[in-house]
Amino acid sequence: MSESSERVSNESLGEVLAGDGALRTRSLWKDAIGRLLRNRLSIIGLIITVLLLISALFGPYIAPYSYTEQDLLNVAKMPSPDHWLGTDEIGRDLFSRVLWGARTATLVAIFTTFISVIIGVIVGAIAGYGGALADNITGRIIDIVMSVPGLLLAALIAVSIKEPVVSWAENVYDTTGFPLFADTTWLDLLVVFGGLAFVSWPGYARLIRGQIFSLREEQYIEAAKSVGVSELKIALRHLLPNAIGPVIVTLTFSFSSAMVLESSLSYLGIGVQPPQASWGNMIASNIGSWSYRPWLVAVPALTLAFVTLGINFLGDGLNDALNPRSKRSI
Amino acid sequence: MFIYTLKRLAVAVPTFIAVLLITFTLTVISPFDPVAMMMTQFEGTLDTLAKEEVIERIRDQYGLNDSYWVQFTRWIGRLMQGDLGISINGQRNVLRMIVKTFPISFQLGLAGAVVTTILGIPLGCIAALKQNTWLDYTIVGGTLGFRTVPVFVLAPLLLVLFVLVLDIMRVPRGWDGLFQSKVLLPVFILALGPLPVVVRQTRAAVLEVFSMDYVRTAKMKGLHMWRIIIRHILRNALIPVVTTLGFIAEGLIVGSIFLDSIFAIPGFGGVAEAGFRGFDYPVIMGVTMVSAVMIILTNLIVDLVYPFLDPRIKIE
Repeated sequence: MSESSERVSNESLGEVLAGDGALRTRSLWKDAIGRLLRNRLSIIGLIITVLLLISALFGPYIAPYSYTEQDLLNVAKMPSPDHWLGTDEIGRDLFSRVLWGARTATLVAIFTTFISVIIGVIVGAIAGYGGALADNITGRIIDIVMSVPGLLLAALIAVSIKEPVVSWAENVYDTTGFPLFADTTWLDLLVVFGGLAFVSWPGYARLIRGQIFSLREEQYIEAAKSVGVSELKIALRHLLPNAIGPVIVTLTFSFSSAMVLESSLSYLGIGVQPPQASWGNMIASNIGSWSYRPWLVAVPALTLAFVTLGINFLGDGLNDALNPRSKRSI
Repeated sequence: MFIYTLKRLAVAVPTFIAVLLITFTLTVISPFDPVAMMMTQFEGTLDTLAKEEVIERIRDQYGLNDSYWVQFTRWIGRLMQGDLGISINGQRNVLRMIVKTFPISFQLGLAGAVVTTILGIPLGCIAALKQNTWLDYTIVGGTLGFRTVPVFVLAPLLLVLFVLVLDIMRVPRGWDGLFQSKVLLPVFILALGPLPVVVRQTRAAVLEVFSMDYVRTAKMKGLHMWRIIIRHILRNALIPVVTTLGFIAEGLIVGSIFLDSIFAIPGFGGVAEAGFRGFDYPVIMGVTMVSAVMIILTNLIVDLVYPFLDPRIKIE
């Protein structure tokens, strides 16, 4: 594996050295995709991630049963042709619930990542461009958020804001009849997004700040400045394309950690509430009976383990592919 | 050194105060109402009008109608005296709950940290010495891959594997002291969490030291490889590993939240889990603050000890 990637970097070095544009040119992205597909682990990761996204999008249509449908004649049964992965303690089809759980996990991960990237980019940009004082203040805030274990802080936030948010929504529904608030189960998700986003943005803020600081010293930025290119244009044309690699890699990793945090909250009974399916609450409701109904715990646990491993493999592969110079620099 | 210590303290103390502020604000927002809790004992004895008046009086008496900042300072004052409040479920003293369970978790955590170090440093060394070989990729990729697989996934899977499939152990439950075989699995699971950080840090440090002149000299002298590693490389490479202590502490705390109930260990994490499950705000607040204190303290100790370990760090 190392030989092949070495050969690749030599090859691209050769292209650069040869210099005249007539040479076979490959774009940065094609290069990266090539490197990604040459890595066996990242292909496995890619397959798992694609499977996850398919189950999240089409899961409810693929699932043979609904996530609440009970088959009372077949309670806590081992896998069978009727129920591919068996049924749970109150007769719900495990395979269907795992598929619905994929939707929950993906939804939370996407929204959490999205919200925390936005906060992170804004704070990071303030730190990077706002001068020493702004940098100091944002740095302190990040330190504070990071000094409490992420899970504890997210749980504390979710526990504290949940009832106020729900009762506010119910009030709004009572007074205005706003149809969106008729059902408050989706607010569970919203509360989880909030808590998780609050603990995950500091990573992005640090990354963006670091990128701004390190790229600013680069000669091409200096060159652009000296010929009078505006700050905004430099940020968009030079900083952004160069920073995008590390950002994509971080995105992948925090996608999987958001997923894990969601299932942790749901495991603790704070996140997604039953009967909604989340891998976390599926594990939690069966953990006490692992010794006589092991598959009820093993199925959601293995799913979660494989999905996080797969996404992390993909992240690793992307890291090698997008930042070839920092090959395995840890 | 004195000024350096002061400076570090000047960072740690405001951080802790900010954590207190966040915790306090969140509980102010939260639906937790201590008065409503007290009122449950009068259930059925008072009519609605009298009840309202009693509630109002209790609120006045306990200063719950005071401004946010007055309440915050009073709360800090109570914290200083070690008063973390009374739990909602079971009406127990939160501080006593934590003090009672903490030693168990501390022993487990310490054992976990030792196992992480014992596993992580050799693995990191091997990965560095075999840099860019399949062994390196397996170690780094393997531990990296596992970095986000949570305890409540690993624990039941390993239980099923060891107890049901392989049938090599009995169900490990409870706590009879650290030197019992049933502690093996919980400690191992705890140790897996922070392992990748230790492996990565060791690997990077060894790689850095590896290119130093004195290592090359030692090699040229024909010293045996392992002797070089132990005498020359490890000594210097271990210093940066100390900085991972904060991560290790966090990993152990979060790990024990899930581990304690699965293995029926009466520890700190079990108190935290029960607190979250029961929406027991005083317990949740207490647990969060104690965890934050642990992490801030660990980082402070690392900061203070580090200059002694690595004289290149200038104390200003």
